Amino acid sequence: MKLTENLELREREEDYININPLQTGGRTYPETRMAIDSYIDGYSVCDWCTGALCKMEKPPIQKFLEDVSLFLGMDYSMLTNGCREAKYAVLHAITNPGDAVVIDGNKHYTTYVACERARVRIFEVPSSGSPEYKITPEGYRNVFEEVKKETGHSPKLAILTHVDGSYGNVVDAKAVADVCKQYSVPFLLNTAYSSGRMPVDGKKIGADFIACSGHKSWAAGGGNVGLLSVTEPWVKQVFIPSIKYGAKPIEILGCSSRGSAAIALMASFPKVKERVKHWPKEVENSRQVVKQLEEAGIRQVGVKPTEHDLNFFESDVLYKISETHKKKNFYLYSELKDQGVVGIKAGLTKNFKFSTYGKTREQLEHVAWAFRDIVERYG
Amino acid sequence: MTDETNALFEAFFSLEEIRELLRQSAPSHKLSDEQKKILKEKIAAIKKSLAVLENLE
Repeated sequence: MKLTENLELREREEDYININPLQTGGRTYPETRMAIDSYIDGYSVCDWCTGALCKMEKPPIQKFLEDVSLFLGMDYSMLTNGCREAKYAVLHAITNPGDAVVIDGNKHYTTYVACERARVRIFEVPSSGSPEYKITPEGYRNVFEEVKKETGHSPKLAILTHVDGSYGNVVDAKAVADVCKQYSVPFLLNTAYSSGRMPVDGKKIGADFIACSGHKSWAAGGGNVGLLSVTEPWVKQVFIPSIKYGAKPIEILGCSSRGSAAIALMASFPKVKERVKHWPKEVENSRQVVKQLEEAGIRQVGVKPTEHDLNFFESDVLYKISETHKKKNFYLYSELKDQGVVGIKAGLTKNFKFSTYGKTREQLEHVAWAFRDIVERYG
Repeated sequence: MTDETNALFEAFFSLEEIRELLRQSAPSHKLSDEQKKILKEKIAAIKKSLAVLENLE
Protein backbone atom coordinates (compact mmCIF):
# COMPACT_ATOMS: atom_id res chain seq x y z
CA MET A 1 0.00 0.00 0.00
CA LYS A 2 1.27 3.44 -0.91
CA LEU A 3 0.63 6.64 1.03
CA THR A 4 1.55 8.82 -1.92
CA GLU A 5 3.21 8.14 -5.26
CA ASN A 6 6.63 7.73 -3.66
CA LEU A 7 5.84 6.95 -0.01
CA GLU A 8 5.24 3.40 1.19
CA LEU A 9 3.04 2.64 4.17
CA ARG A 10 5.19 1.66 7.17
CA GLU A 11 3.84 -1.60 8.59
CA ARG A 12 6.81 -2.97 10.53
CA GLU A 13 5.20 -2.54 13.95
CA GLU A 14 1.97 -4.25 12.87
CA ASP A 15 3.26 -7.13 10.75
CA TYR A 16 6.66 -7.80 12.34
CA ILE A 17 8.37 -7.97 15.71
CA ASN A 18 10.59 -4.91 15.47
CA ILE A 19 13.71 -5.22 17.64
CA ASN A 20 15.56 -2.14 16.36
CA PRO A 21 17.02 -0.64 19.56
CA LEU A 22 16.51 2.86 18.23
CA GLN A 23 12.78 2.29 17.96
CA THR A 24 11.49 -0.04 20.68
CA GLY A 25 11.21 2.59 23.45
CA GLY A 26 9.63 5.15 21.15
CA ARG A 27 6.81 2.91 20.05
CA THR A 28 3.55 4.73 20.71
CA TYR A 29 0.39 3.73 22.57
CA PRO A 30 -3.10 3.94 21.00
CA GLU A 31 -3.97 7.10 22.97
CA THR A 32 -0.68 8.65 21.89
CA ARG A 33 -1.46 8.02 18.23
CA MET A 34 -4.91 9.52 18.72
CA ALA A 35 -3.40 12.59 20.35
CA ILE A 36 -0.91 12.91 17.49
CA ASP A 37 -3.71 12.61 14.95
CA SER A 38 -5.75 15.30 16.67
CA TYR A 39 -2.76 17.68 16.91
CA ILE A 40 -1.25 16.80 13.55
CA ASP A 41 -1.42 20.28 12.02
CA GLY A 42 1.36 22.83 12.20
CA TYR A 43 1.61 24.89 15.41
CA SER A 44 -1.31 22.90 16.82
CA VAL A 45 -0.22 23.46 20.42
CA CYS A 46 -0.39 27.23 19.97
CA ASP A 47 -4.20 27.68 19.91
CA TRP A 48 -4.12 29.30 23.36
CA CYS A 49 -0.58 30.63 23.35
CA THR A 50 0.28 32.91 26.23
CA GLY A 51 3.75 33.78 25.02
CA ALA A 52 5.89 30.72 25.71
CA LEU A 53 5.53 27.00 25.10
CA CYS A 54 6.74 26.02 28.57
CA LYS A 55 4.13 28.31 30.19
CA MET A 56 1.16 26.99 28.20
CA GLU A 57 -1.90 26.14 30.28
CA LYS A 58 -4.03 24.80 27.42
CA PRO A 59 -2.89 22.21 26.50
CA PRO A 60 -1.42 21.90 30.02
CA ILE A 61 2.26 21.91 29.07
CA GLN A 62 3.38 23.86 32.14
CA LYS A 63 1.68 21.35 34.47
CA PHE A 64 3.15 18.47 32.46
CA LEU A 65 6.66 19.89 32.87
CA GLU A 66 6.12 20.22 36.62
CA ASP A 67 5.04 16.56 36.72
CA VAL A 68 8.10 15.56 34.67
CA SER A 69 10.37 17.33 37.16
CA LEU A 70 8.82 15.35 40.01
CA PHE A 71 9.07 12.12 38.00
CA LEU A 72 12.78 12.68 37.34
CA GLY A 73 13.57 14.00 40.82
CA MET A 74 14.62 17.37 39.42
CA ASP A 75 13.40 20.95 39.96
CA TYR A 76 12.60 22.43 36.54
CA SER A 77 12.07 20.97 33.09
CA MET A 78 11.88 22.31 29.59
CA LEU A 79 10.78 20.81 26.28
CA THR A 80 13.52 20.48 23.69
CA ASN A 81 13.57 19.15 20.15
CA GLY A 82 15.48 16.08 21.34
CA CYS A 83 18.12 14.81 23.74
CA ARG A 84 20.98 16.25 21.66
CA GLU A 85 19.39 19.70 21.81
CA ALA A 86 19.09 19.35 25.59
CA LYS A 87 22.79 18.51 25.88
CA TYR A 88 23.76 21.40 23.63
CA ALA A 89 21.57 23.81 25.61
CA VAL A 90 23.55 23.01 28.78
CA LEU A 91 26.89 23.21 26.97
CA HIS A 92 26.01 26.54 25.42
CA ALA A 93 24.68 27.97 28.67
CA ILE A 94 27.49 27.07 31.06
CA THR A 95 30.68 26.75 29.03
CA ASN A 96 32.84 29.05 26.94
CA PRO A 97 34.83 28.09 23.83
CA GLY A 98 38.05 26.37 24.90
CA ASP A 99 36.69 25.11 28.24
CA ALA A 100 37.41 21.48 29.13
CA VAL A 101 34.45 19.10 29.04
CA VAL A 102 34.72 15.42 30.00
CA ILE A 103 32.62 12.82 28.19
CA ASP A 104 32.60 9.01 28.18
CA GLY A 105 34.02 6.67 25.56
CA ASN A 106 30.64 5.00 25.00
CA LYS A 107 28.94 8.32 24.26
CA HIS A 108 26.42 8.85 21.50
CA TYR A 109 27.95 10.76 18.62
CA THR A 110 25.65 13.70 19.36
CA THR A 111 27.40 14.30 22.67
CA TYR A 112 30.63 14.79 20.77
CA VAL A 113 29.00 16.90 18.06
CA ALA A 114 27.26 19.08 20.67
CA CYS A 115 30.67 19.66 22.30
CA GLU A 116 32.19 20.53 18.93
CA ARG A 117 29.39 23.02 18.25
CA ALA A 118 30.01 24.61 21.65
CA ARG A 119 33.75 24.84 20.73
CA VAL A 120 34.87 23.19 23.97
CA ARG A 121 37.94 20.99 24.48
CA ILE A 122 36.86 17.38 24.69
CA PHE A 123 38.47 14.94 27.15
CA GLU A 124 37.27 11.37 26.92
CA VAL A 125 36.98 8.71 29.64
CA PRO A 126 37.95 5.44 27.94
CA SER A 127 35.89 2.30 28.41
CA SER A 128 37.52 -0.86 29.77
CA GLY A 129 37.47 -2.30 26.22
CA SER A 130 36.51 -5.82 25.18
CA PRO A 131 34.54 -7.69 26.40
CA GLU A 132 32.73 -5.47 28.94
CA TYR A 133 33.32 -1.93 27.62
CA LYS A 134 32.66 -0.57 31.12
CA ILE A 135 32.75 3.10 32.06
CA THR A 136 33.84 3.61 35.67
CA PRO A 137 33.83 6.45 38.20
CA GLU A 138 37.59 5.95 38.55
CA GLY A 139 37.88 6.69 34.83
CA TYR A 140 36.23 10.06 35.40
CA ARG A 141 38.53 10.77 38.35
CA ASN A 142 41.61 9.97 36.23
CA VAL A 143 40.50 12.26 33.41
CA PHE A 144 39.61 15.07 35.85
CA GLU A 145 43.18 14.84 37.16
CA GLU A 146 44.50 14.89 33.58
CA VAL A 147 42.44 18.02 32.83
CA LYS A 148 43.69 19.73 36.00
CA LYS A 149 47.28 18.89 35.10
CA GLU A 150 46.90 20.21 31.57
CA THR A 151 44.73 23.28 32.12
CA GLY A 152 45.21 24.11 35.79
CA HIS A 153 41.44 23.89 36.40
CA SER A 154 38.73 21.30 36.89
CA PRO A 155 36.56 20.65 33.82
CA LYS A 156 33.59 22.97 33.25
CA LEU A 157 31.22 20.05 32.73
CA ALA A 158 31.12 16.25 32.83
CA ILE A 159 28.68 14.32 30.63
CA LEU A 160 27.83 10.66 31.23
CA THR A 161 25.85 8.37 28.95
CA HIS A 162 23.73 6.59 31.55
CA VAL A 163 23.04 3.67 29.19
CA ASP A 164 25.03 3.53 25.98
CA GLY A 165 23.48 2.70 22.62
CA SER A 166 26.07 0.09 21.65
CA TYR A 167 26.28 -2.37 24.55
CA GLY A 168 23.39 -1.33 26.77
CA ASN A 169 25.72 -0.99 29.76
CA VAL A 170 24.08 0.75 32.72
CA VAL A 171 26.69 2.96 34.38
CA ASP A 172 26.61 3.67 38.12
CA ALA A 173 25.62 7.30 37.60
CA LYS A 174 25.55 8.09 41.32
CA ALA A 175 29.17 7.01 41.71
CA VAL A 176 30.18 9.23 38.78
CA ALA A 177 28.14 12.11 40.26
CA ASP A 178 29.98 11.64 43.57
CA VAL A 179 33.33 12.05 41.80
CA CYS A 180 32.00 15.15 40.04
CA LYS A 181 31.00 16.63 43.39
CA GLN A 182 34.47 16.00 44.84
CA TYR A 183 35.93 18.05 41.96
CA SER A 184 33.04 20.59 41.85
CA VAL A 185 32.29 19.64 38.28
CA PRO A 186 28.66 20.12 37.08
CA PHE A 187 27.21 16.78 35.98
CA LEU A 188 24.97 16.22 32.94
CA LEU A 189 23.36 12.79 32.64
CA ASN A 190 22.33 11.67 29.16
CA THR A 191 19.34 9.39 29.75
CA ALA A 192 18.34 8.77 26.12
CA TYR A 193 18.27 5.00 26.77
CA SER A 194 17.24 5.10 30.44
CA SER A 195 14.61 7.64 31.55
CA GLY A 196 11.19 6.60 30.24
CA ARG A 197 12.23 2.93 30.35
CA MET A 198 13.68 2.53 33.82
CA PRO A 199 13.44 4.58 37.03
CA VAL A 200 15.76 7.61 37.03
CA ASP A 201 15.89 9.91 40.06
CA GLY A 202 18.15 12.90 39.53
CA LYS A 203 18.20 13.85 43.22
CA LYS A 204 19.26 10.37 44.35
CA ILE A 205 21.87 10.23 41.61
CA GLY A 206 23.14 13.75 42.22
CA ALA A 207 22.73 15.01 38.65
CA ASP A 208 22.69 18.72 37.92
CA PHE A 209 21.14 18.23 34.49
CA ILE A 210 19.22 15.38 32.87
CA ALA A 211 18.73 15.14 29.10
CA CYS A 212 15.95 12.87 27.82
CA SER A 213 14.80 11.58 24.45
CA GLY A 214 11.02 11.47 24.02
CA HIS A 215 11.07 9.63 20.71
CA LYS A 216 13.66 7.11 21.90
CA SER A 217 12.45 6.13 25.36
CA TRP A 218 9.23 7.95 26.31
CA ALA A 219 6.89 6.40 23.71
CA ALA A 220 6.51 9.73 21.95
CA GLY A 221 6.23 9.68 18.17
CA GLY A 222 4.87 12.25 15.77
CA GLY A 223 8.24 13.96 15.43
CA ASN A 224 11.23 14.73 17.60
CA VAL A 225 10.91 15.76 21.21
CA GLY A 226 13.16 15.79 24.25
CA LEU A 227 13.40 17.12 27.77
CA LEU A 228 15.97 19.01 29.75
CA SER A 229 15.59 18.88 33.53
CA VAL A 230 17.78 20.87 35.88
CA THR A 231 18.21 21.47 39.59
CA GLU A 232 17.33 24.79 41.20
CA PRO A 233 20.87 26.27 41.32
CA TRP A 234 21.14 26.05 37.53
CA VAL A 235 17.74 27.41 36.53
CA LYS A 236 18.80 31.03 36.07
CA GLN A 237 21.86 30.14 34.01
CA VAL A 238 20.30 27.49 31.77
CA PHE A 239 16.73 28.76 31.42
CA ILE A 240 17.83 32.36 30.86
CA PRO A 241 15.18 34.40 29.04
CA SER A 242 15.73 36.70 26.08
CA ILE A 243 16.49 40.30 27.04
CA LYS A 244 14.08 41.64 24.45
CA TYR A 245 11.46 38.85 24.53
CA GLY A 246 11.29 38.13 28.26
CA ALA A 247 9.04 35.06 28.04
CA LYS A 248 11.32 33.21 25.63
CA PRO A 249 14.16 31.01 26.98
CA ILE A 250 17.12 31.57 24.66
CA GLU A 251 18.60 28.07 24.87
CA ILE A 252 15.55 26.63 23.08
CA LEU A 253 15.26 29.70 20.82
CA GLY A 254 12.03 30.69 22.54
CA CYS A 255 9.86 27.66 21.91
CA SER A 256 11.08 24.19 20.94
CA SER A 257 8.76 21.30 20.01
CA ARG A 258 5.62 23.10 18.85
CA GLY A 259 3.39 20.38 17.50
CA SER A 260 2.20 16.81 17.78
CA ALA A 261 5.47 15.44 19.19
CA ALA A 262 5.05 17.52 22.37
CA ILE A 263 1.45 16.33 22.63
CA ALA A 264 2.60 12.73 22.07
CA LEU A 265 5.03 13.04 24.96
CA MET A 266 2.23 14.29 27.20
CA ALA A 267 -0.23 11.62 26.06
CA SER A 268 2.25 8.79 26.70
CA PHE A 269 3.35 10.11 30.08
CA PRO A 270 0.80 8.22 32.24
CA LYS A 271 1.85 4.93 30.60
CA VAL A 272 5.54 5.84 30.89
CA LYS A 273 5.18 6.55 34.61
CA GLU A 274 3.60 3.14 35.00
CA ARG A 275 5.97 1.17 32.78
CA VAL A 276 9.17 2.18 34.56
CA LYS A 277 7.82 0.28 37.58
CA HIS A 278 8.01 -2.89 35.48
CA TRP A 279 11.67 -2.42 34.51
CA PRO A 280 12.84 -5.59 36.39
CA LYS A 281 10.53 -7.63 34.13
CA GLU A 282 12.06 -6.03 31.03
CA VAL A 283 15.56 -6.94 32.27
CA GLU A 284 14.41 -10.48 33.02
CA ASN A 285 12.94 -10.78 29.50
CA SER A 286 16.19 -9.52 28.02
CA ARG A 287 18.26 -12.02 30.04
CA GLN A 288 16.04 -14.89 28.91
CA VAL A 289 16.61 -14.05 25.23
CA VAL A 290 20.37 -13.57 25.78
CA LYS A 291 20.53 -16.99 27.47
CA GLN A 292 18.77 -18.68 24.58
CA LEU A 293 20.98 -17.00 21.98
CA GLU A 294 24.15 -17.87 23.87
CA GLU A 295 23.08 -21.52 23.90
CA ALA A 296 23.03 -21.25 20.09
CA GLY A 297 26.56 -19.79 19.98
CA ILE A 298 25.59 -16.12 19.72
CA ARG A 299 27.53 -14.27 22.45
CA GLN A 300 26.43 -11.15 24.28
CA VAL A 301 29.16 -8.52 24.60
CA GLY A 302 29.09 -5.92 27.37
CA VAL A 303 28.44 -6.17 31.10
CA LYS A 304 27.07 -9.58 32.15
CA PRO A 305 24.45 -10.47 33.09
CA THR A 306 22.85 -7.79 30.99
CA GLU A 307 21.07 -5.01 32.89
CA HIS A 308 19.20 -3.56 29.90
CA ASP A 309 16.92 -4.44 26.99
CA LEU A 310 19.55 -3.34 24.46
CA ASN A 311 22.30 -5.85 23.85
CA PHE A 312 25.25 -6.28 21.52
CA PHE A 313 26.08 -9.70 20.10
CA GLU A 314 29.02 -11.39 18.39
CA SER A 315 28.58 -14.55 16.41
CA ASP A 316 31.12 -16.63 14.50
CA VAL A 317 28.46 -19.19 13.60
CA LEU A 318 26.18 -16.64 11.91
CA TYR A 319 29.18 -15.08 10.15
CA LYS A 320 30.35 -18.47 8.80
CA ILE A 321 26.91 -19.10 7.33
CA SER A 322 27.23 -15.84 5.33
CA GLU A 323 30.31 -17.27 3.55
CA THR A 324 28.23 -19.96 1.85
CA HIS A 325 24.67 -18.62 1.86
CA LYS A 326 23.45 -17.42 -1.56
CA LYS A 327 22.35 -14.09 -0.06
CA LYS A 328 25.83 -13.63 1.47
CA ASN A 329 25.88 -11.27 4.46
CA PHE A 330 22.29 -10.14 3.80
CA TYR A 331 20.94 -13.58 4.60
CA LEU A 332 20.43 -12.91 8.33
CA TYR A 333 18.22 -9.89 7.70
CA SER A 334 16.32 -11.79 5.03
CA GLU A 335 15.84 -15.01 7.02
CA LEU A 336 14.68 -13.12 10.11
CA LYS A 337 12.26 -11.05 8.06
CA ASP A 338 10.81 -14.22 6.58
CA GLN A 339 10.12 -15.29 10.19
CA GLY A 340 8.47 -11.95 11.00
CA VAL A 341 11.41 -10.36 12.82
CA VAL A 342 12.95 -7.03 11.73
CA GLY A 343 15.31 -4.51 13.26
CA ILE A 344 18.76 -6.04 12.77
CA LYS A 345 20.70 -3.91 10.29
CA ALA A 346 20.76 -5.50 6.85
CA GLY A 347 24.22 -6.87 6.01
CA LEU A 348 25.34 -7.57 9.58
CA THR A 349 26.08 -11.13 10.72
CA LYS A 350 29.17 -11.06 12.93
CA ASN A 351 28.24 -8.15 15.20
CA PHE A 352 24.79 -6.72 15.73
CA LYS A 353 22.54 -5.34 18.42
CA PHE A 354 18.88 -5.45 19.21
CA SER A 355 16.38 -4.56 21.91
CA THR A 356 13.69 -6.66 23.59
CA TYR A 357 11.88 -3.66 25.09
CA GLY A 358 8.10 -3.77 25.31
CA LYS A 359 7.72 -7.14 23.62
CA THR A 360 5.49 -9.89 24.96
CA ARG A 361 6.99 -13.14 26.25
CA GLU A 362 5.49 -14.93 23.23
CA GLN A 363 7.14 -12.47 20.85
CA LEU A 364 10.51 -12.84 22.55
CA GLU A 365 10.24 -16.63 22.44
CA HIS A 366 9.62 -16.25 18.71
CA VAL A 367 12.70 -14.01 18.29
CA ALA A 368 14.93 -16.50 20.12
CA TRP A 369 13.46 -19.38 18.12
CA ALA A 370 14.07 -17.50 14.82
CA PHE A 371 17.80 -17.15 15.60
CA ARG A 372 18.13 -20.75 16.80
CA ASP A 373 16.27 -22.00 13.74
CA ILE A 374 18.73 -20.23 11.40
CA VAL A 375 21.72 -21.73 13.25
CA GLU A 376 20.16 -25.21 13.17
CA ARG A 377 19.30 -25.06 9.46
CA TYR A 378 22.51 -23.53 8.11
CA GLY A 379 25.15 -23.74 10.84
CA MET B 1 -17.85 19.31 19.04
CA THR B 2 -20.32 18.15 16.44
CA ASP B 3 -21.64 14.59 16.47
CA GLU B 4 -19.94 13.94 13.13
CA THR B 5 -16.50 15.00 14.33
CA ASN B 6 -16.97 13.09 17.55
CA ALA B 7 -17.96 9.97 15.58
CA LEU B 8 -14.95 10.37 13.30
CA PHE B 9 -12.48 10.47 16.21
CA GLU B 10 -14.29 7.70 18.08
CA ALA B 11 -13.85 5.50 15.00
CA PHE B 12 -10.18 6.49 14.69
CA PHE B 13 -9.61 5.60 18.32
CA SER B 14 -11.24 2.19 17.95
CA LEU B 15 -9.12 1.55 14.86
CA GLU B 16 -6.00 2.47 16.85
CA GLU B 17 -7.02 -0.07 19.51
CA ILE B 18 -7.31 -2.69 16.77
CA ARG B 19 -3.93 -1.59 15.42
CA GLU B 20 -2.53 -2.23 18.89
CA LEU B 21 -3.93 -5.76 18.80
CA LEU B 22 -2.04 -6.33 15.55
CA ARG B 23 1.15 -4.96 17.11
CA GLN B 24 0.81 -7.09 20.24
CA SER B 25 0.14 -10.25 18.24
CA ALA B 26 2.69 -9.75 15.42
CA PRO B 27 3.78 -11.56 13.37
CA SER B 28 1.15 -14.33 13.55
CA HIS B 29 -1.84 -12.13 14.45
CA LYS B 30 -3.32 -15.04 16.38
CA LEU B 31 -5.45 -13.35 19.02
CA SER B 32 -6.10 -14.57 22.55
CA ASP B 33 -9.70 -14.87 23.77
CA GLU B 34 -9.36 -11.54 25.58
CA GLN B 35 -8.00 -9.88 22.44
CA LYS B 36 -10.83 -11.35 20.35
CA LYS B 37 -13.31 -9.84 22.79
CA ILE B 38 -11.68 -6.41 22.47
CA LEU B 39 -11.69 -6.74 18.68
CA LYS B 40 -15.44 -7.39 18.61
CA GLU B 41 -16.13 -4.43 20.91
CA LYS B 42 -14.02 -2.10 18.79
CA ILE B 43 -15.63 -3.20 15.53
CA ALA B 44 -19.06 -2.60 17.07
CA ALA B 45 -17.96 0.87 18.16
CA ILE B 46 -16.67 1.64 14.67
CA LYS B 47 -19.97 0.56 13.13
CA LYS B 48 -21.82 2.85 15.54
CA SER B 49 -19.60 5.77 14.54
CA LEU B 50 -19.99 4.98 10.85
CA ALA B 51 -23.78 5.07 11.26
CA VAL B 52 -23.48 8.67 12.47
CA LEU B 53 -21.17 9.56 9.57
CA GLU B 54 -23.51 7.91 7.05
CA ASN B 55 -26.12 10.52 7.97
CA LEU B 56 -23.89 13.25 6.54
CA GLU B 57 -25.22 14.57 3.26
